Amino acid sequence: MTILDLLLPAFVASLILTGIHAYLGVHVVERGVIFVDLSLAQIAALGTTVAYLAGYDLHSTAAYLFSLAFTFLGAVIFALSRVHRSTRIPQEAVIGIVYAVSAAVAILVMSKATQETEHLKEMLVGNVLSVTWPELARTAVLYAAVGVFHYFCRERFLNISMHEEEAVRRGYNIRFWDFLFYVSFGFVVTSSVAIAGVLLVFCFLIVPSVAAMLFAERLGPRLALGWTMGALVSAGGVALSFFLDLPTGATIVATFGAALLLLAVVRWAFRR
Amino acid sequence: MKPIRCLSAVLLLLAALPGAAHANGRKLRVVTSTQDLASIADAIGRDHVSTLPLAKGYQDPHFVDAKPSFVLQLSRADLLIVAGLDLEVGYLPPLIDQSRNRKIRPGAPGYLDASVGCEVLGRPTQQITRAMGDVHPQGNPHYWTDPENGRRIARSVAARLAQLDPAAAGAYAGNLAAFEATLTRKTAEWEAKMKPYAGREVVTFHDSWPNFAKRFKLNVAGHVEPKPGIPPSPAHTLEIINLIKARKIPLILVEPYFDLKTPKFIAGKTGAVVLVFYPSVGGTPAIKDYFALFDTNLDAFVAAMKGRG
Repeated sequence: MTILDLLLPAFVASLILTGIHAYLGVHVVERGVIFVDLSLAQIAALGTTVAYLAGYDLHSTAAYLFSLAFTFLGAVIFALSRVHRSTRIPQEAVIGIVYAVSAAVAILVMSKATQETEHLKEMLVGNVLSVTWPELARTAVLYAAVGVFHYFCRERFLNISMHEEEAVRRGYNIRFWDFLFYVSFGFVVTSSVAIAGVLLVFCFLIVPSVAAMLFAERLGPRLALGWTMGALVSAGGVALSFFLDLPTGATIVATFGAALLLLAVVRWAFRR
Repeated sequence: MKPIRCLSAVLLLLAALPGAAHANGRKLRVVTSTQDLASIADAIGRDHVSTLPLAKGYQDPHFVDAKPSFVLQLSRADLLIVAGLDLEVGYLPPLIDQSRNRKIRPGAPGYLDASVGCEVLGRPTQQITRAMGDVHPQGNPHYWTDPENGRRIARSVAARLAQLDPAAAGAYAGNLAAFEATLTRKTAEWEAKMKPYAGREVVTFHDSWPNFAKRFKLNVAGHVEPKPGIPPSPAHTLEIINLIKARKIPLILVEPYFDLKTPKFIAGKTGAVVLVFYPSVGGTPAIKDYFALFDTNLDAFVAAMKGRG
């Protein structure tokens, strides 16, 4: 086995993750729900722990269904908690509360289980190096399905995320479409966190989208910029982790940070 | 004669003071940091002590979430037995402070560091820095995975119990003799079981098994996670994969509290088998005492090696 056999799946995984996350990231940043992925990942992890307490194996289909059911619950909460006009409670507050409470409840559930729950703590860490080709194929199919769904409903999703008044004027059922958005988002995040871990997924989601906003306003250029940056930085991060002999996931995250800083400096120099 | 008898009575009373409550028939309350130590203390103290482990065997003993009951139990303890070598440094010292129990402070007779007198491996020979990850500067704290160290622990426990509770010293000595006899018999059995595999190489997830490997003549060829708590780099992962392939290493041993994803990935690439190896009593419900710890692990090892040469 050569280093290429080991790094290639990690690199392809990064490309697949960039594909869907750079797009979803536009929605997330526009809506200002930056930490929604952490919150949904945590609630999905809670679902897995509850399945475990109910006697199912951690890597069984039943455990996966539990985590999906909990993700749906999270989607309902986020769809219902869109900025509350009469109280002005920001949605980010609800997201934070969901994160903290589900993390705490997961700890409580684990303390009641009798064994082998300690490594649940590592569920959200992930190791992008240990991804396998069949896993990647399944993930790619799932993301493609979510992508197609979003493509066909793009008018509603984009209007609700980017032009809320317009969406209201057209009389969309915003709560319903928000629910669908968070469910599809939850599908994606649950499997991407299992592959790459919370830190890396957060980066794929937010950084390309923010970087693109430095240079473009319209959706098309933003997506193109986001995808280009995501692909280049992933390749750079994977290569750096090899040459400097560093853990791959954390190296990609740090590379994303450095690239964003560089782009911000470029913009400042360019616009001066 | 009379003054001497009187004096010896006073001395006896003084000696019994740390376990003063014990004089009126109460059992000696022994709190231990791990279930292994509790199992050994149980075997030595039998009905003269009540033992209570803080960390359960299925938990990573380095990181234990403190519960309020821990402080309560420590505050009532007559004897605290720790594995030492900084294994409990992450959670126990503040709990001892909060318990306000002077009897179990380090240095007091009610505090027993079980590692004293044991054969400890892996004492670093170079300067320690954070760059080395979560290492133990005083040596590898998983020393109880060698039954001979279990014997040494049992001896220190028996001596300390006799010191705290001289009235039952005879019982403790008897129980120690029985424990040692069983251990000698079982160790011969275990060594015979492992004899066919002497010199075989294994890969372990963490550096937790040097004492075990030395006793049962296994060679640990490498670790999946070279620095505890830090994910392996691509170069290291590749090195382990190629090492396993080149030397046809049959097993990857993983503690029950680590995620199996990375070890299973490496196993899938190499044809090695991932074997969950229990470092402590209570790691799985079948491991009820210190002897069962070796019975379970060695049986699993032999079963996994069947048909793998």
